[in-house]
Order: sequence, then C-alpha cells, then structure tokens
Amino acid sequence: MPKTRKVILLLYVVMIMFPFFYLFLLSLSAEWKFPDLSPNYFGLKNWEQIFSSQSGLGVSFITSLFISFFVALTTTSLGFYVSRYISYHPRRHTMSMLAYFPYVIAPVVFGACMIYFFLKMGLFGTLYGVILAQSFVAFPYALIFFTSFWGEKIQNYEQLVATLGGNVLQGFMKVTLPLAKGMLMICFFQTFLISWFEYGLTSVIGVGKVETLTIKVFLFIKESNFYFGALSCCLLILPPLVLIYFNKRYVFNKIL
Amino acid sequence: MKILESMLSKNNQNHISLGLFFVLAILPVAAAFSYAVLYSFGVVGIANEGFTLRFWKDVLSKGEFIQSFGYSAAISAVSMVISIGLALYLTVIFHKDFKNRILSFIAYLPLSLPGVVAAFFGVQVLSKSGFFSRISYNLGWTKDLSGFPDLINDQFALGIIFTFVSIVSPFFLLLFLSIFENEKIDELRKLANSLGANRRQSIWKVEIPILLHKSKKLISLYFIFLMGAYEIPLILGREAPQMLSVLIVRDLKQYDLTLISEGYVIAVIYSIVIGLLTYLIFSRQK
Amino acid sequence: MKFLQIQNISKSFGQTKIFKHINLELAAGRTLSILGKSGCGKTTMLKTISGLVAPDEGNIILEGNKINDLSPNLRNIVYLYQEDLLFPHLTIFENIAFGLRLQNLNNEVIHQKVNQMIVNLELEGQGDKMPSQISGGQRQRVSFGRAIIISPKLLLLDEPFGSLDVETRYNMQKLFKHLVAQYNITSLFVTHDLKEAFTMGDTMAYMKDGDLKVYLSKQSFVQDQSTGMQDEISFWKNINFFDNE
Repeated sequence: MPKTRKVILLLYVVMIMFPFFYLFLLSLSAEWKFPDLSPNYFGLKNWEQIFSSQSGLGVSFITSLFISFFVALTTTSLGFYVSRYISYHPRRHTMSMLAYFPYVIAPVVFGACMIYFFLKMGLFGTLYGVILAQSFVAFPYALIFFTSFWGEKIQNYEQLVATLGGNVLQGFMKVTLPLAKGMLMICFFQTFLISWFEYGLTSVIGVGKVETLTIKVFLFIKESNFYFGALSCCLLILPPLVLIYFNKRYVFNKIL
Repeated sequence: MKILESMLSKNNQNHISLGLFFVLAILPVAAAFSYAVLYSFGVVGIANEGFTLRFWKDVLSKGEFIQSFGYSAAISAVSMVISIGLALYLTVIFHKDFKNRILSFIAYLPLSLPGVVAAFFGVQVLSKSGFFSRISYNLGWTKDLSGFPDLINDQFALGIIFTFVSIVSPFFLLLFLSIFENEKIDELRKLANSLGANRRQSIWKVEIPILLHKSKKLISLYFIFLMGAYEIPLILGREAPQMLSVLIVRDLKQYDLTLISEGYVIAVIYSIVIGLLTYLIFSRQK
Repeated sequence: MKFLQIQNISKSFGQTKIFKHINLELAAGRTLSILGKSGCGKTTMLKTISGLVAPDEGNIILEGNKINDLSPNLRNIVYLYQEDLLFPHLTIFENIAFGLRLQNLNNEVIHQKVNQMIVNLELEGQGDKMPSQISGGQRQRVSFGRAIIISPKLLLLDEPFGSLDVETRYNMQKLFKHLVAQYNITSLFVTHDLKEAFTMGDTMAYMKDGDLKVYLSKQSFVQDQSTGMQDEISFWKNINFFDNE
C-alpha cells in the first residue's frame, strides 16, 4: 500500500506546515474580509511597523527576550547547583516529588495566589516581578531536569579527580562542567522557552504593565486586529524555530 | 584540620543548596497555597470578617465548580486519548519514514507553537468568519456566516480539543519515536513474529503496550497539564462551563468580593487534587 | 617504620558494620593483594584509606605521618575503580596528563613524561584518540598510566581487571607488575580472583565480612583452608577424566 502511505504522510506534512504558512501569510495581509479567500492587501507594511511605537512589537520582542534570557540563565545555573545537593540526598525521592508541585500547577493559578506577596514585595506589575514569578515555575523544571545528571558515575569522576590531586574547584572546572555542557545548553533553552511561551502568569503578575509578545497576541485578538496578531505570532515562533534548526534537543525534552 | 575545613565548606554548600531549594521551590507554592486556604476560609482578604465555612459551602453546593471540574477532566481525557492515538498510529506505522531527515525535522516544528499561537490559529481557521468557513462558503456548502457550525466557543469544546490535540500529539509522536528506537521495538517485533505473532498481534500485544508503559508518567503529567490549561480555553472556550484555570482566574478578578473567596476555594481544591495526582504518579514510580 | 600502617580502622553505615578493626602494614614499593568477594567491605576500606570516606575510628599512617584529617586531594593516594573512568571529553594524551596539569607543571615536562608513559603502556600512536575510539583493555591501560604518572605514594586498585577477558587480563597483570616495579609504586590490590591475588601480591591478605586477615607469607595463605586455595589445588589434583574409561 505505498500509495496510501504516501498520501497519509503528505497529509501529515500539510497539516504541520499549514499553520506556519497561514500565520505568515496573514501577517503580510490586510483587509481580508469574509468570504474572500485571499486578502485585498498583501505586502510588508505590517512588518515595517514592528519597530514603530504604535505597534509596540519591537519593544515587546526585546522585553520578552530580556525576561526569558534572564529567567533561563538564573534558573539553569541555580537548578544545576541545587540539583546536585538533591540528587545525593538520602531523601532524594521525596524532594524530587516536592519539586514537581510548582511545575505541575497551572502557572496562572499559582500566580493568582501569589499576587498578595508580590504586592507586599513591591514587585507586582513590574518587570522583575514577572521574572521572579516565571523563575518559580522554571526553577523546579531545571531541578528535575538535572537530577538525571548527578549519579554514581559523576560522583566517581569527582572522587577520581580528588585522588589525582585536584581540589573541588579544579574538579568542577576540568571535569564536571565539561561533562555537563550539553545538558546545560539544553536546559537553558528549555527554561528560555518556558518563559518565552508563558502567558497566564505574566498577565496576572505583570497586570498589563509588562507587555511580552504573548500578551501582545492576546491584545491583538481582543482588538480583532488579526494581522498584527499573526505578526506577533510569527515573532513568537521565530526563536524556537531557530533553536530547532540548530539542535532539536534544545526544544524537545523527554527526560521528564 | 584541613579535612575538617573541607567538610565545613561542604556543609556550607549543603546549607546554601537546601536554602535555595526551600526558597525557590518550596516556599512559593507553600505561601501561595496557604494564602489561598486562608482566603477561602475568610481569614484574610478584603471584606472578609474572619473564619467561616460559608464560601466552601457555597462552592460545593453550587453546581458550577463540580461541573467545571468534570468538564476539564473530560476535555483533557478526550484530548489525550485522541493525541496518543494519533501519535501511536504514526509511530507504529510510519516509524521508518520518520528516520528521513526532512520528515524528522518537520516532526519537531509544532514544538515551536505555544498555546497562545495555537489558540489564535484555532480562531483563524475554525471561527465562523475563519478560513474553513470561507472555503465552505466558496464551495457552496454554506450560504453565509451563520450557516457554518460552531466549532469554537461551543458546548462540545471542539475548538479546545482540536487545539489541544494539535499541541500534544506532536510531542507524543516524538516521544514514542524515541522510545521505539531506545527500546529496540523493531527487534522485539521481529522476535514476536518468529514466535508466531502476525503483524496485528505484534502491534497490539508488543509495540503499543511497550510504548504506553514507557510513557506512563508523561501521559499522566500531560493529563494534569491539560486540565489546568489557561490560554486555549480562555480564547476558545465558552462562558459556561469553563475549564478550571479560566474559572479560577475569572473569579479572582471579580468585583464581587464574595466571588473572590469562592475563587480561592476552587483554587485550593484544584491544588489538592493536582497534588494528590502527582503523589500518585510518584508513588507508583517507586 | 613501615611505609603504610593501617591501625584499627572501622566503619559502619548506620547499624550496618562495613569493616572493623582493620590492621595492616606495607613496606615501600611492595604490593599487598587482598582476596575478597563482593560485599566484603573492600571498596569502602580502600575509599577510607584514600580519604573519600571518613573512618569511625583508627589511624592511617603514611611515611610515619598520620593522615586521617588530610583531604583526599592532598594525600597523594590514588584510588582506581574497576571501570576505567576515562574522561570522555579528553584525548588519551590529555587523560594521562590530567594529574600533571593539576600540578601546573611545565608543558614540555608534561609532554615528555606523558609520551614516555604512552610508550610504557604500549599505546604509541593512540595519543590523539578519544576514549571511545580504543578498546576496553587499552582504556584500562590509560587509566593505569594516568594514576602512576603522578608518582602516587600509594595506589589502591579495586578489581581493576574485573571487566576484561582472560587474555587481556593476563597482559594487564604483566604490565602492572612491570610498571609497579619500574616506578617503585606501593599498592594495595583487591580482587576476588584467587589466582590473581596470588600472582599480583608480594604479600597477601584475605577479607571476609569486614574482617581482614593478613598473612606473613604466601605459604601460610595457601595453607589456610578458609582462603579457598586448598580447595582449588585439590580440584585440579583430583580431576577424573571420565571419558577415558
């Protein structure tokens, strides 16, 4: 049945690629009224607006990049550091399970219940408040992610380095870190994407004052400005697409 | 004294790690949960006058919460079944084709789509003025906007389910494909054949059970994730019933202050249920 | 004064006694082989001597100095695992050079020493390869070279040849004895293989259930029933070739 197979696979490819093409085309359009199958305008005028203050898209893009980069950097490094302690702990199983709760809870509900504390800390509606809130979701992920790294083998390497005359810092820099490099990269991008894609938590803690790209998409939907909505979507999916291109593992993690 | 020194600094390291673990992973959840509990019992909160069981009674007697809960669980379950079914089908039948570099790359593409974009796309194609409606009009199947069926914001949550499936299914496809390789399911298939199993038997008795067994934990986790989904049901869902997260956030943003406390009641119940489910997943794993 | 003196060391984890009242002495440049099955406590004992585990009681004295409180990286005692544990991100050359680089030696000195060791290990031409590109036996040799090149005061070997096939094992045993003599290394060699224990050590000991018994001579080791040597000998002596009946 090779022909049926080919048809099914073709259908699969079309279904996957369709959203990307559609959103891209929509972002290049304007004045597309029902029941037209193609828009009245097709060109670059929407994209030219990216850096205008009217659309605010350029600013949102930079804001999102900044937030996600910061969240990824701090949660990956802290997660790496703390996960070592957890992995070697006698109560490792319980601690891992506890780390799952903030990861499994819907971020928006989590955020809504934390508003009071953010108000008290003066972080409500601020950029750093959003970063902190997103870190509360990304950090447990990083913790769980790295528990598969620390094990007997790494411990043996660390001990070997010690008996060969290396102190703790030398062991870390010359052996542990090089061995962890791959996983550090993957975790960095995974936590980057957790932050990059986050909407609910950002809207609840940022309360409209912190306009990330995801917030923008929502705003455009509310305004029924679908062309700029599509444009924001294109900007949103650009970094992940780039990551997939360079290393698919940056985006797909099955360890959890 | 040197070994003592190094042990001390190791102790320091351990204390720092424990401190960070507590502050970044345990404290936020504990604080949020405690606050929600206190608010739900009227102990804290604007216009609350002290401990009362009123809000709990109200929520549990009103149908809305239970309905939302059942609604969320049902949508999540249906979406998971369809997603996993699709992923299993593609894996078992087409796993060799996915070794092709291009097809393999395409399989990863959906991972770049967050919930917001998927929901937006859902609106674009499934709404009455959307792409499918236009095609249907141009093909003469419908006469106008209202002729096109309700595919989003509908009572069967079709739009929500469609969007969930479009996000979850690609993930499980990739997961199943990698399990297929790691567990050498192809070899096991050949082994089953040599033991007398036909193609169909080997699929249902060997391949699918192994794939499901190895992904049990992730399947459970995704079920929980979908139940608590926010963006997609927010855009594609109805006024009532609503999925849990949408309901909770809606209540918490209310001007009617009583509803806020009720919102926290629902949040507490949701958290407890999720906590229990997570614990169950973990205790099985041990 | 003996080069190495272990005095009365004991270790328990919780209620479980791992080993107790271990005493042994070793002269410089000599090898003590310790016969012991898995689970008898030998790994923990070796780790205690190397400083990776702290003993509950007792003294470890090296060259007349008590080293109980010295951290592992300052003892100059190398503990070798059964697995080769080569650093997967470093070449063979760099693996061997690792300990020397930690000492911040001159680059030329490192090159000279490592190349000499590569020759001793019969690994010429393999220096630029990665560990994944050489065989198990070759990796074990590199692991050795890496340990011996830093001239450790004491080498602790924990079943180093356990994962090798018979022929490779034999070659490694020969190489070990040769290198140990050449570099004048003092070592404790732990194995569960009777023949290996007998051939590798200058003196012998037997460890069972956390107790160590050191023999004054190989002869007394052979004569002691509990070591299993007698059973081995009588097995070979009493073989009946039924086929020839």
